[in-house]
Amino acid sequence: MSQHPKHILVVDDAATVRMYHRQILQQAGFAVDEAVNGVEALEKALQTPYDLYLVDINMPKLDGYGFLQDLRSREIVQGPAIMISTEAEAQDKARAFAAGANLYMVKPIKPADLLKYCALLLGVEASL
Amino acid sequence: MGFVKSQPADPSKGEDRKVQRDLAGLTTALCSADPKSRRWAARDLAHFPAAVDALLTQLARETDREVREAIFITLAQFDNSQAVNGLIHCLRSEDAALRNSAIDALKLMPAAVAPMMAQLLRDPSADVRILAINVLESLRHPEVEAWLIGVIAQDTHVNVCATAVDLLTEVGTKTAVQALLALKSRFAEEPFMHFAIDVALQRIQGE
Amino acid sequence: MAKTDISLDEFQKFREFFYRKTGIQFDDNKRYFVDKRLLERIEATGTESFRHYFTMLRFEASGEELQKLTNLMTVNETYFFREDYQFRCLVDSMLPAVCARKKPGARIRIWSIPSSSGEEPYSIAIYLLEHWPEIANWDVELISSDIDTDILKRARLGCYSPRSVQHVKPALLDRYFVRQKNGDYQISDELRDSVEFTRVNLAEMTDTRSYRNFDIIFCRNLLIYFDDLSRRKAAEVFYDALNAGGFVCLGHSESMSRITSLFSVKKYPEAIVYQKPEQP
Repeated sequence: MSQHPKHILVVDDAATVRMYHRQILQQAGFAVDEAVNGVEALEKALQTPYDLYLVDINMPKLDGYGFLQDLRSREIVQGPAIMISTEAEAQDKARAFAAGANLYMVKPIKPADLLKYCALLLGVEASL
Repeated sequence: MGFVKSQPADPSKGEDRKVQRDLAGLTTALCSADPKSRRWAARDLAHFPAAVDALLTQLARETDREVREAIFITLAQFDNSQAVNGLIHCLRSEDAALRNSAIDALKLMPAAVAPMMAQLLRDPSADVRILAINVLESLRHPEVEAWLIGVIAQDTHVNVCATAVDLLTEVGTKTAVQALLALKSRFAEEPFMHFAIDVALQRIQGE
Repeated sequence: MAKTDISLDEFQKFREFFYRKTGIQFDDNKRYFVDKRLLERIEATGTESFRHYFTMLRFEASGEELQKLTNLMTVNETYFFREDYQFRCLVDSMLPAVCARKKPGARIRIWSIPSSSGEEPYSIAIYLLEHWPEIANWDVELISSDIDTDILKRARLGCYSPRSVQHVKPALLDRYFVRQKNGDYQISDELRDSVEFTRVNLAEMTDTRSYRNFDIIFCRNLLIYFDDLSRRKAAEVFYDALNAGGFVCLGHSESMSRITSLFSVKKYPEAIVYQKPEQP
């Protein structure tokens, strides 16, 4: 990993999911911050230029679609986003991409897959 | 210029004051073409538990999020089974924002939600079961852990079980240990489940 | 047997719960800080173990214990120019945005709640006089409210001990305070007259419904002590109290993320604030 680790924002209302993603990403050398819903994610995203967002769809207050749509409407430098769902419905995928996601994954996610797609979007090497 | 004192409130400003602020008047205002009037009506209806039906009816067709928010907050204060049933209906909506707002409201109504919980946890829709577990987070009820153990013992859907495990990391006791271990075997191929169950076991046993 | 320590798992369990409820995140290095206060409350409540205390905390209907604990976990003394980066934001970012939308001759209305003993509203007034030259061109209403009538009396009186004002620059003390015979500093008559103090219970719609057309609301370190429903209702009051495009400022460790998504998150160089969406 380069001297400046890529910074990833993990957004999910479930503590164990955030912990799991954090552990995988930190072990691979990424820096990780967390948010429990779309509003908190926006607050953090507006203060820190994250390289990547990992965004759960179903969250209270403001869901993943709402967060991404709002973020993409702001004139700030921003990174790619992986939207994460519990289902693989075609309409959810379409909606995710329309909101500004670059990739769509279904949970639970395997560590190797998470790293593969994060690395892909970040243009870096990453492994377990 | 500089600091000045306020003028007395102008009674003709603001929302439609010509409307009577009683149940009939407010129910009418709830359907007004003006979203501000609808929002104020929704807020003022907090004094009228009889308005549940009218509020739920409006909620089903309301597109303005400010008005929806006011309706949800008013419904949450009623804490009765009629309101709960209406909100549970929202859990099945295609509208993700509506579903999520409904959960937030249901979380504020633990007394009225409790009788519905066992049934919700057996709902044919995995999405609804997940949402039901989300509501459980704030439920003050002696059965909460038993319900969660029931879910992880019987539910076939991995994400329903994952949601239950997440809550068990906070409310689980030694009673849940066996079911958690059994779940780990059942989802032997899922690294996330292993991780989450280990966290739950750690939290339970680490006291 | 008295509980003498909190295990790592107990700390983590509590930390996750507290973060979810309040948005406040305790780093590992806050272990001692948190553990000490947990043990204090376990003793005070007679619950004897973390497990029992935590269960009580999670499920208590009144939410009183969570409130007490939150009080302990947060720094909550009031003093002049507390979190003054928000006043900088007021002058450098929020007021320019507000004025750009205002018709000439229209008033600017600012609401500070809770007033407590007046430090916040008087700080706002002084800060505006000192740092906002535009105040010469606008009428500004500064209204400050509290639920407690005794504290409102104190706020109107505007008398502060030397200790209370120890961090106020001497030049400001000279300009805006009058030294009393007993050594206290009283806010000058003119400045005291600049603030209108009112009694308001945020939970009472009859109290709050006439609060409208505000441009800026300061509500710092109050909502964090409310339960979930009361917080949402308070946010509703603020939403309706604001003009389109108006702003709410919460305390620096508070967030709308635990309350509502109605407000738009606004990032200014000085601070994050919350904005009622502008009229389309």
